[in-house]
Amino acid sequence: MNGANFIVQALKQQNITQVFGYPGGAIMPLYDALYDGGLDHLLCRHEQGAAMAAIGYARATGRVGVCIATSGPGATNLITGLADALLDSIPIVAITGQVASNLMGTDAFQEIDVLGLSLACTKHSFLVQSVEQLGPIIEKAFQIATSGRPGPVLIDIPKDIQLADIAESPLFEQLTIEQKLTFPLELSLIRQAKEMIKIASKPLLYVGGGVGMANATQALRNFIQYTYIPSVCTLKGIGAIEHNSEYFMGMVGMHGSKAANLAIQECDLLIAVGARFDDRVTGKLEEFANHAKVLHLDIDAAEIDKLRIADLAITDDLNEVLPALEVETYISAWQKNILTMKQDFAISYNHPGKMIYAPALLHLLSEMKPADTVICSDVGQHQMWVAQHMFVDRPENHISSSGLGTMGFGIPAAVGAQMARPNDTVIVVSGDGSFMMNVQELGTIKRKKLPIKIVLIDNQRLGMVRQWQKLFFDGRYSETILTDNPDFVTLASAFDIPGETIVIKSQIQGALTRLLDSDGAYLLHVSISEEENVWPLVPPGAANDKMMESLQ
Amino acid sequence: MKYLLIIQGENSPELLERLLRVCRHRGFSVQKISGETTENEKSLHITLTVCSDRPVSLLSKQIDKLFGITQVVAISQEQAIRASA
Repeated sequence: MNGANFIVQALKQQNITQVFGYPGGAIMPLYDALYDGGLDHLLCRHEQGAAMAAIGYARATGRVGVCIATSGPGATNLITGLADALLDSIPIVAITGQVASNLMGTDAFQEIDVLGLSLACTKHSFLVQSVEQLGPIIEKAFQIATSGRPGPVLIDIPKDIQLADIAESPLFEQLTIEQKLTFPLELSLIRQAKEMIKIASKPLLYVGGGVGMANATQALRNFIQYTYIPSVCTLKGIGAIEHNSEYFMGMVGMHGSKAANLAIQECDLLIAVGARFDDRVTGKLEEFANHAKVLHLDIDAAEIDKLRIADLAITDDLNEVLPALEVETYISAWQKNILTMKQDFAISYNHPGKMIYAPALLHLLSEMKPADTVICSDVGQHQMWVAQHMFVDRPENHISSSGLGTMGFGIPAAVGAQMARPNDTVIVVSGDGSFMMNVQELGTIKRKKLPIKIVLIDNQRLGMVRQWQKLFFDGRYSETILTDNPDFVTLASAFDIPGETIVIKSQIQGALTRLLDSDGAYLLHVSISEEENVWPLVPPGAANDKMMESLQ
Repeated sequence: MKYLLIIQGENSPELLERLLRVCRHRGFSVQKISGETTENEKSLHITLTVCSDRPVSLLSKQIDKLFGITQVVAISQEQAIRASA
């Protein structure tokens, strides 16, 4: 067998069944091996789409996503996807072809230094220098992608190595030995943490994406059920706690709920669980939870004390830590306070006039969607409305580009999610700006006949930037007006995707029913007013309790 | 503040590049560097003098996370002076 066949066998050995990619010159041997190699390959229509489909696949399942591209432009097109996976800690393995070893460093056709390019946007990257290295490198790549804090790993493979002869399956004895090092919990730390929780009168859980990544959703829910400690979550933490959990206040931060942001500022113990004090969460860092001691639970030691000094930190597996921290609490006054805030600041979906109010539409869609629906979001105002007004009860069911905020993420992520979970409904919520950024992936939906439901919230603007221009740049709408958008329903129809446009409230119910009942893909194009803003908003540089709630 | 970093890693063609990128990106400027490969080029030993307003733990923890780094020790300049006095 040659190197390329070997790669296919090695991927299968890693329990990979599905890959996403795009062929080209330097990766042709691998594509030849994929032709009848027994792996399912989905052709995306841009390498960025392939990377984001791999992310969607990984996020919808918790497994590793794999994407493949050729050298040069194929590899550079992957970069944004790798960066997205890095900032959201998503385990993907990217395989790129490279020009033949003897041509490397000569500025050969489609040659670029991919290893150099990857340093800032992967957890780790490899350049394979001999065919014998292929086995150990692929093994290590999967191990690195999934261990500790997960992340993207790139393997760059020169064409001559893909073509070189290799003895059949030499690597498999050393493969799949689970190298899970478990250290016993440090009991003194656990004791101190329990004491902190016990004496706190206003403890608050601040829950991030790490809970889902650690498969610790159940451990967290058990902890909450035992302690009844109130909670908030980050954008990536959505789904970790059931949306109707009694003392759960939803998302915290720049567009967080009022109750969540006020509770953060009031709490006396902040228990950060798989969260990293991102600037979009903290607002003005010096004033974030400034009455609180911090107990930080995260697998990544580099996150401890990075932005907020923790009074106590534990970097072990949440599945071991959380059960060990279960302790009785006496916080009824605080709980009452939380319930009062939840009631006083409950979201109202009353909206005057005939024009469609996107938050109300998304809330209704959330109520109508089948159980275990995956919601993929693009980036912008609609992304925040999804986070605020739709609800899911599994982190795998809310897929949103959180750390990098990558416009164009939604459609390819939905492609990956639908491939991973063919029996579940997958909904993409996109905006007119984001939709156009990876619109070519409608071709992928057509190719595989994926029944993805697309809700396109169209305000003919780059809405989030427009909102900031309105609020902070004197209404100077520099390059955010998109009144020259294409006819989206016609555009979708070119890919055999039926659809409709709605503009007034009375059309919503019927349109959502048709969307959800459609057998195949469907585009629901929703026209809304460009004047709509995302509220509340913590202005840049302000503390979280200084929320703006309207234009006044 | 100035810090001395003593770093040991499994040698690979890009390890030095990887290391220096992390230093720059995390807000540390390199003032002095020396390094050599040992054991038939299997491992790489590097000492760096870096300068930053940020606490050195921000950098040393990031370096520690790099795949292939086997050891990193950070010493503040004051500690280094005391030790040599």
